[in-house]
Amino acid sequence: MFLEVKNIKKAFHKEQVISLLNFTLEAHKTLSILGKSGCGKTTMLKIIAGLESPDSGDILLNSLRINEQAPEKRGIVYLYQEDLLFPHLTVFENIAFGLRIKKVDKNIIAEKVNTMIQRLELEGQADKMPHQLSGGQRQRVSFGRAIITNPSLLLLDEPFGSLDAGTRTRMQLLFKKLAEEFSITSLFVTHDLKEAILMGDEIGYMEKGNLKVYKDRDSFINDPMTGVQNEISFWDSLNTKKENEPMNEEVKIKNETE
Amino acid sequence: MKRKRSTISIAFFILVGVVPFAAAFIYALLYSFGIVGVVNTGFTTQFWETVITSGEFFKSFAYSALIAALSVIISVSTALWLTLKFRKELDKKFLSYIIYLPLAIPGVVAAFFTYQLLSKSGFFSRIAYQFGWIQEARFFPDLVNDQMAIGIIITFITVVVPFFLLLFLNVYKNERIQELSELSASLGAKPNQVLWRISLPVILHKTWVLIVLYFIFLLGAYEIPLILGQESPQMLSVLIIRELKQYDLSKISEGYVAAVIYTVTVSVAAVILFSKRKRIAHEA
Repeated sequence: MFLEVKNIKKAFHKEQVISLLNFTLEAHKTLSILGKSGCGKTTMLKIIAGLESPDSGDILLNSLRINEQAPEKRGIVYLYQEDLLFPHLTVFENIAFGLRIKKVDKNIIAEKVNTMIQRLELEGQADKMPHQLSGGQRQRVSFGRAIITNPSLLLLDEPFGSLDAGTRTRMQLLFKKLAEEFSITSLFVTHDLKEAILMGDEIGYMEKGNLKVYKDRDSFINDPMTGVQNEISFWDSLNTKKENEPMNEEVKIKNETE
Repeated sequence: MKRKRSTISIAFFILVGVVPFAAAFIYALLYSFGIVGVVNTGFTTQFWETVITSGEFFKSFAYSALIAALSVIISVSTALWLTLKFRKELDKKFLSYIIYLPLAIPGVVAAFFTYQLLSKSGFFSRIAYQFGWIQEARFFPDLVNDQMAIGIIITFITVVVPFFLLLFLNVYKNERIQELSELSASLGAKPNQVLWRISLPVILHKTWVLIVLYFIFLLGAYEIPLILGQESPQMLSVLIIRELKQYDLSKISEGYVAAVIYTVTVSVAAVILFSKRKRIAHEA
C-alpha cells in the first residue's frame, strides 16, 4: 500500500478530535472522504501533511514511517479550503514556487510552468496578480502550484467549497483530468455527497473522528449513515410530485371548462 | 441630494485642507523671492542662491534623511522580528494592551524621557558612576545632543516600533501568513525559505507605503530633534524654524527657501507614491 494510516489519535484540550484512524490508499488513486463540519477531516489531513502531530499512531508512506519527518521533506502537499495564492507573486511565480525553492534550472522552470498554464487553461494570465483572477482561476493556479512539484500525495481540503455550482463542476472535471494525467494519489475531503461520489476511486465517511472506508460505491450508497438514501428519496419525492402536478392542473382546467 | 452633499463635502475639504496649505505655500514662495516681507524690497533670487550655495540646507536634508532612514530601518526590522518571533505571546490581552501605551506618549515627552535616561547627568550615567564604570559624569558617552544623533534615533525607534508592531500583527492575521507559511512548507520550503520568500515579502508588500510615509514623517519631525539634536547640522524642521525666527529679519527669507524646497520634495515624493498605489488599485 502506498499510504498507511495506523491507529492515529489526536485530542485538543481533552476533546478527542481523531478517535482511532485506520485506512490505506493505493498509489495513483483518490480516496474521497465525506464528512460534516467538525468531524476531524482537516485535523486528519494536517496530521498526514506534518502540520499537526498525532498523539499516537503511525503514518507510513511507501512503507516508510514519516511521523517525525518535517512537512517540507514529506513530499505531501496540503491544499487549504481557500486557494491561498501568494499575494505578492504573479500567476507564473505562484506556480513556479515549488520549483524555485528546489533551485531547479530557470529554463526548465519556464518550460514546466508554461506547459502547466496551458493544461490549466490559463493562457494569457501568467503575469497577472492573484487579486486580478476569478475564484475558479485562482483555484486552478493553486492546483497547478501543487501538481507541478510532483507530490507523492495531494491532500485536498474541500477545495471547491467556495465556488459556484458551474465553476465547481468544471473544476471537478479538471481535477479528474489532471489526476489521471499526472498519476496523482490524493485524499479529497468534501462535505458534498455528489462530489464525494464523483471524485473518489474509493469513498470514505468520517464521523466524530472515525473514518469508514467502503469497499465499493454501492456499499457507500446503501449505507443509511452516509445520507445517500435520504438524498435519493428526496429527489424521488420531487419527481413524483412533478409527475402529479400537471395531471392535477389538467383536471382543474377541464373541470373549469365544463 | 446625494450630489449636493458630496459637493459640500468637497468644498469643505478644499476650504479646510487645501486653501490654508496652498495659501501658506504661496506666502512662503513669495517671501523666498523677496516679494513679501518686512525688509524685502522686491523680486530677487538672492535668498535662493544663498541657500543653495551655502550647502547648510542640503547638509541638513541629507543628515535628516539618514537619521529618518536609519530609524525606520531599525524600527521596521525590530517590529518584524517581534511579530514573527513572539506573535502568539503578543496576542495575549495584557501584552496587546501594553503595545498601545507608547503610542499615547507625545514626541516631546518621549524626548525628555530619553534626555533623563541618556544625558551625562541622566539615569544611566549615574548608574555607571555608582558602579565605578566611569570616574566622573562627564566621561559618560555622548548619547544626547551628539554628532551621531543616537538620542534622536533611540527616541524615534521607541515611538515608532509599537506602531509598526501593531501594523505587522494585523497584516499577519489578515493576510493569513500562518497558513501561507504552512502551505509553502508543504510545497517543500525550508523555514528560512518560508521567512525570506513568503512571510517578509507579504508583510512588506502590504505595508511599504506606510513605511515610506513614516520616513517622510520622521524627516520632518521637530520636537525630538529640537531637544536631543546637536547645533550643526540640525534636522530639517529645526533648521527651518531657526531660520524663520532669526533676529536678523533679512535672513527669514532663507528660512522660507528651505521650507519651500522641503515642501516641494516631500509633495513630489508623496504624489509619486500615491499615483503608483492608485494604479495598483485600478488594476485590481
